[in-house]
Amino acid sequence: MKKRMGAVMLAGLMACTMAAGLTGCGMNVKPDFEMPEGGFDTSKEVTINFYHTMGATGTRSLQAVLNDYIAEFNKIYPNIKVVHEQTGGYDDVRDQIQTEIVAGNQPNLAYCYPDHVALYNDGYAVQSLNDFLPGGAYSNEKVTLADGTQVPLALTEEEKNNFIPGYYEEGYKFDDESKMYTLPFSKSTEVLYYNKTEFEKNGWKVPTTWDEMETVCAQIQAAYPDVKNPDGTVKEHVYGFGYDSEANWFITMCEQYGSGYTSALGDHYLFDNQTNRGFVQKFAEWYNKGYFTTQAIYKTYTSGLFVATSGNRAMMCIGSSAGASHQLPDKVDGKYPFEVGIAPIPQQNPDKPKVISQGPSVCIFKNEDPQEVLASWLFLKFLTTNVGFQAEFSSASGYIPVLKEDVMRTNEVFAQTLDDANGYEGLMALSTKVALEQENSYYTSPAFVGSSKARDEVGLLMQAVFTGTKTLDKAFSDAISECEYFTT
Amino acid sequence: MTKTKAEKPALTEEEKKLAERKKNLRKARFNRYKAWLYLSPAIILLLIFTVWPIFNTIRLSLLTDFNYLGELRGKTFEFGFDNFVNVAQYSGFLTCLGNTMLLTVITVPVSTMLALIVAVALNSIKFLKRAFQTIFFLPYVTNAIAIGMVFMTMFQMIGDAPNYSSIGIINTIIEAFGGTRINWVNPGSNYWANIAVLAIYIVWNALPFKILVLLGGLQGVNKQYYEAAKVDGASRMRIFWRITVPMLSPMIAYVVITGFIGGFKEYSSIVGIFGDEMGPVGAPRSLNTMVGFIYASITENNQGRASAAALILFAIIFVVTMINLYVSKKKVHY
Amino acid sequence: MQNTVEKDQAVSAPQEDVMQKSMKEKNIKSVSIRQKVVKALVQILLYAFLTIMAISILFPFYWMLISSLKTLNEYNETIPTLWPRQFHWENYVTAFTGDLDLGRLFLNTCIVGIVSTILSLVVTVLSAFAFARLDFKGKNALFAALLATMMIPGELFTITNYITVSSLGWLNTFTVLIVPFLVSVFYIYLLRQNFLQIPNELYLAAKVDGTSDLKYLWKVMVPLAAPTLVSITILKMMGAWNSYIWPRLVANDAAHKLVTVGLRGASFVDLATNMVNYPAQMAAVVIVTIPLLLVFIFFRKYIMRGVSRSGLKG
Repeated sequence: MKKRMGAVMLAGLMACTMAAGLTGCGMNVKPDFEMPEGGFDTSKEVTINFYHTMGATGTRSLQAVLNDYIAEFNKIYPNIKVVHEQTGGYDDVRDQIQTEIVAGNQPNLAYCYPDHVALYNDGYAVQSLNDFLPGGAYSNEKVTLADGTQVPLALTEEEKNNFIPGYYEEGYKFDDESKMYTLPFSKSTEVLYYNKTEFEKNGWKVPTTWDEMETVCAQIQAAYPDVKNPDGTVKEHVYGFGYDSEANWFITMCEQYGSGYTSALGDHYLFDNQTNRGFVQKFAEWYNKGYFTTQAIYKTYTSGLFVATSGNRAMMCIGSSAGASHQLPDKVDGKYPFEVGIAPIPQQNPDKPKVISQGPSVCIFKNEDPQEVLASWLFLKFLTTNVGFQAEFSSASGYIPVLKEDVMRTNEVFAQTLDDANGYEGLMALSTKVALEQENSYYTSPAFVGSSKARDEVGLLMQAVFTGTKTLDKAFSDAISECEYFTT
Repeated sequence: MTKTKAEKPALTEEEKKLAERKKNLRKARFNRYKAWLYLSPAIILLLIFTVWPIFNTIRLSLLTDFNYLGELRGKTFEFGFDNFVNVAQYSGFLTCLGNTMLLTVITVPVSTMLALIVAVALNSIKFLKRAFQTIFFLPYVTNAIAIGMVFMTMFQMIGDAPNYSSIGIINTIIEAFGGTRINWVNPGSNYWANIAVLAIYIVWNALPFKILVLLGGLQGVNKQYYEAAKVDGASRMRIFWRITVPMLSPMIAYVVITGFIGGFKEYSSIVGIFGDEMGPVGAPRSLNTMVGFIYASITENNQGRASAAALILFAIIFVVTMINLYVSKKKVHY
Repeated sequence: MQNTVEKDQAVSAPQEDVMQKSMKEKNIKSVSIRQKVVKALVQILLYAFLTIMAISILFPFYWMLISSLKTLNEYNETIPTLWPRQFHWENYVTAFTGDLDLGRLFLNTCIVGIVSTILSLVVTVLSAFAFARLDFKGKNALFAALLATMMIPGELFTITNYITVSSLGWLNTFTVLIVPFLVSVFYIYLLRQNFLQIPNELYLAAKVDGTSDLKYLWKVMVPLAAPTLVSITILKMMGAWNSYIWPRLVANDAAHKLVTVGLRGASFVDLATNMVNYPAQMAAVVIVTIPLLLVFIFFRKYIMRGVSRSGLKG
């Protein structure tokens, strides 16, 4: 009798009876994905396409890492052929997929940022992953491999718990908060790079709060006053810090204060409030005192200032954890001019630390062929839960693995890398280590159509106020009206 | 037809003539068909990429917030004038409109005047004339984006704002002549300073064409008018205003009209100097133009508003051109 | 316009004789030293003015060249140097090897330029021939309609064309850079005018000989209109070289990016110092500018001819 029932019904029933204690289950839960009869067919060849931005050059290119693990994957699933291509940068991936969705020839999987998913989902093109999660409709579904062994199709509870929670939660940051659309692939965050040699020499305290940041900037300025040219131009100015992303700064401050930024539902743009105006005003004062500069004002990554040893330079830099290799100064006479330290970014409330979670996630697109969707899911699950892949990808890219530190340490090579982290050659590992240690601090902002506009606008707002181009009032009201023009 | 065929063996004179005529007719028909054959590639392409867009753009402008991805997904859009209203009420659009007008109104008269003086000067010399002519034409054969980047490096202060290590070449020259340095294009620069740089660049770029046309016109003016005027003892200024300008008026009208049309479509020179941000750091889009606005709306996936903006631009160009033609009809001496 | 000027001259011719005579009489007597001095002064002023203007025109070129040969350190110096202390040609190497893949950009631009020029010439020649030599119903109306489309700013077409090419799946292809702009009404007009100047008798004679239209077109009309065709070719190639807006919109990937888009989009950040390497940027600008200047030197006549009638840049 069971055989006569549709596989969907079967799976649904099984999920309900066997996982009754888990949340979100009941007869009324209709699966988003319709399971084909017999589940995933391991005997039939299936090809899946994966768009990403991984480069193919370098000693250990990201594509090489990927290819190695596709080979590993094919040992389990020889019938799944993974075709992958670098589609340029993140925006190129987005633009290409957007047009392909219309034509119906989108890939099976793609690198994505949350706002891209919001855009794709405007066309209902993204496959929700709920059914494949613990407690989901198919959480007890098995895949029978060629040798007869059975492996779970869905993510297991244990696998789920291995993810860094902030990264995993990003998959839910859309207008319908009950649906999960992405799995984190590899991540980055912001960390504070500081000139450890100078800090130790001068007895400065590495700032953990923004108040401490202000203090140390004043100390730096006192220790290194400006040197001027005869015509009044500046020969040497020492900044407290360089900040690489004005937008991140604004959004992170909103999170740290708990003041509004955006919301996926209802009134999207909440960022014009007294708290936010307050910190922008404060930072503008810092800017006028010469405490910092930003990427847009400096015209390129402020790591250029951080690694400089003469002329204009900076004692700290808040930048991507993935950019550690750029924060290491060039050797002079075979020796590094200074040691680099890495710390978490300053906080407003050290008890509730908040740092941004960035970097690619991967989403799966709906497809007429359910086998392709299942194959894509298996591939995505494989890459994101595989410690070996996460470790190698992290070492090759400087990105943070999406799994917790203790899980990652089961990989001996990676554990050794973390232990060998230092402020010189081991800087990349050091940034990964510092990032992994903050596993409970990560946040992501809600994604909706127009969320990237908000991000752009708050960044521009900061630039405008810092450079004195606009008053605080005008900068905020312009940013709001820009955002609203694009969503009405 | 069948009748003629049947009676073929016995052709009368009359019938021969008829046949000849038919042959000619067929040939003529073929010729007509041939003409369309030759024209077909052009016409097909024009129908797709020129004629259809005219109608479609009008249609899109009347569909509120039309975006084609939505349309393909089966989304429907309200019919009405909302796009025009939204665009016209949007401060960003008014900035674009203002910048476009301002730049046109500054650069067209300045470049026309300068070109006229240069053309007259070139026409009054012999030695090195060709060398000067070549030099003055050079900006024409340049890439507006590339040379815009050069102008940027000339005007910008070097180093990171506000701690510059050098004030840049133009400011150095200004100070050498006793002036004071100006923040032309760097972060926090003043709007009018930005406009000045753009105007200088646009004039630099617009001179060659105007000089070429005006000089061509001058060479067509009969020298004896001048000689007659000299005999009458007319001053040079008087000759310039009373003879040169009227005689050149068709050419002046031509460069002014094309100048206005080009001015309203200004875009590349701003991208050249300020990049895609269309403004200095801290004030992106502050120097955006109508064309820039239209392109931004296309990429921001609101082709409805883009169409409304394009039609507004077309209306402006149309009206200004008509005014120009009307004025020149009254003022131009043929 | 040219005609009206000529007409004016013709009308005034009889009066001139009289004027000339009286002028000569006066001149012989009254060429005073004072007038000579004034004339010399005016000439000096004219040359001074033209020289200043020429310097203003040339200065950006000079600045671009010398900047491209400086080191980043020299470029950043407080007092700008007016001549590089030493020529640093390595900036040109950087321009080709940095994040700007100039070689690829050149290749893409050449492919688009050459293919679109050839196709465009074919389409233009055929259409101009039909308008100049063949009779068909509605010819004048059609021609007038074509000319009328020239009034409409291109931006109006771009929106729909963007949608069209997107739905055709043409984004990021060479096709999208070539096809939508193959037909230029202005070039058809230009060539038609040229064809009209070729006496119709030649065509009729060819017809009597039984020469086919295409053969006649190829053997007689094309060679006679060669100067105009050269002008069109050059303007079209320059167009590909300078085009920015459309390619930026529809072909932004590395495999199809055109040179101007690539140049503007590249960051020129020096990886060693993480600073914007302006000398390398200027070297790239020089490389992009030189081919145009060379074309100008060799085809000055054709360019100026085409330009004075078009009124549009590129």
